[in-house]
Amino acid sequence: MSGGTTDTPSDLIEDYLDRLLVSLSGTPRQVRHTLAEVEAHLRDAVAEGIAAGLPEETAQVQALERIGPVHAVTGRPAALARPSAALLRRLTLTAALVGGAGFAAIGGAGLLGRLLQALKGNLFMTTPFPPGTYTQADCSRWLAGDPGTRSCVTAMLADHAFDYLLQAAACGLLGLAGLAGYLFLRRRWSDRATTTALPAGTAEGLGAVLAGAAAVACLGQALDLETVQRGVGVGEPLSLGIAATTAAVAFALALRRCLRAARTRAA
Amino acid sequence: MKAEKLKGHLDLLLLSVLSRGPGHGYEVIARLKVRSDGAFQLPEGTVYPALHRLEGAGLLASSWDVVAGRRRRIYRLTAAGEAALAEQAAQWRDFSGSMTRVLGAPAAPAPAAAGGRA
Repeated sequence: MSGGTTDTPSDLIEDYLDRLLVSLSGTPRQVRHTLAEVEAHLRDAVAEGIAAGLPEETAQVQALERIGPVHAVTGRPAALARPSAALLRRLTLTAALVGGAGFAAIGGAGLLGRLLQALKGNLFMTTPFPPGTYTQADCSRWLAGDPGTRSCVTAMLADHAFDYLLQAAACGLLGLAGLAGYLFLRRRWSDRATTTALPAGTAEGLGAVLAGAAAVACLGQALDLETVQRGVGVGEPLSLGIAATTAAVAFALALRRCLRAARTRAA
Repeated sequence: MKAEKLKGHLDLLLLSVLSRGPGHGYEVIARLKVRSDGAFQLPEGTVYPALHRLEGAGLLASSWDVVAGRRRRIYRLTAAGEAALAEQAAQWRDFSGSMTRVLGAPAAPAPAAAGGRA
């Protein structure tokens, strides 16, 4: 199908056809046929430009201006286009990576929280309910869970800390399952259409932003508790903040690696 | 002519262009430009969904062939397409004739005042 043009990853026509491929909907045959006839159209237009004396790159730009945006060929405004299978696969991978890493980070926060609990105690981990906001029945329930103590507040703190660690562990397991699913699906969906359905580094960038925002929120809350409540309940937001910071840094490093790889491919 | 104005008449234009003989997408666009003396210019990509829609409606049929070294989808008018073209062209001529009658001939420039002051 190529004629008169180079076929490299930075080829403007190839880039346009990649975008068209992931935007087209219909049966595989319809998609193949549309792609083939649009490629023939673009190669004709480029050849015409070159024959008129234009440099190849200028001829490519002119051919793309003439054919118009991808949604002109698909026949639908971009916003109304039904997502292609490749885009849905890429979105699934993105959700699995960002969600899996996020939940795994909460699991990591649980491990860190367990360490902080052992070092600093339950009062550092969690904030007790203010007096009058809980009933005797609540106290009885907390004391039943911690038979070694007679203090309702102490039993309440132990219960809250245990709940936090249990929920963090559950999230951690969910995150590991999500990451395992991501690795499995990434091997199955390694075709070019899927990998180019979203710009390089989209998942990593999204993860870095979300984890960074979570880190700022949690560390800010930990700092507030440290200064206002003199360290009471700092453990939960502190452990979450450290885990989120770690995730944000990991995502940022992965993003940098992705962008470098994309630049190398384009060069 | 603006692309938006052409959109409503694109089906008729494509049927008309293909009534002169089969052709692939790029050729159809080139014929459209030549026959309109360059007046009908629209984003070329918009022709493809229209061609596919007309094929889906049974007004066009397509087949693949290799022309000038490239594999191309060649469109041709079906019998239903010829009938649709005749009907739509007649409607357009009626409409166009009516519009012309309503609008009338272009107004002649106002004559200069005769004479003038002596």
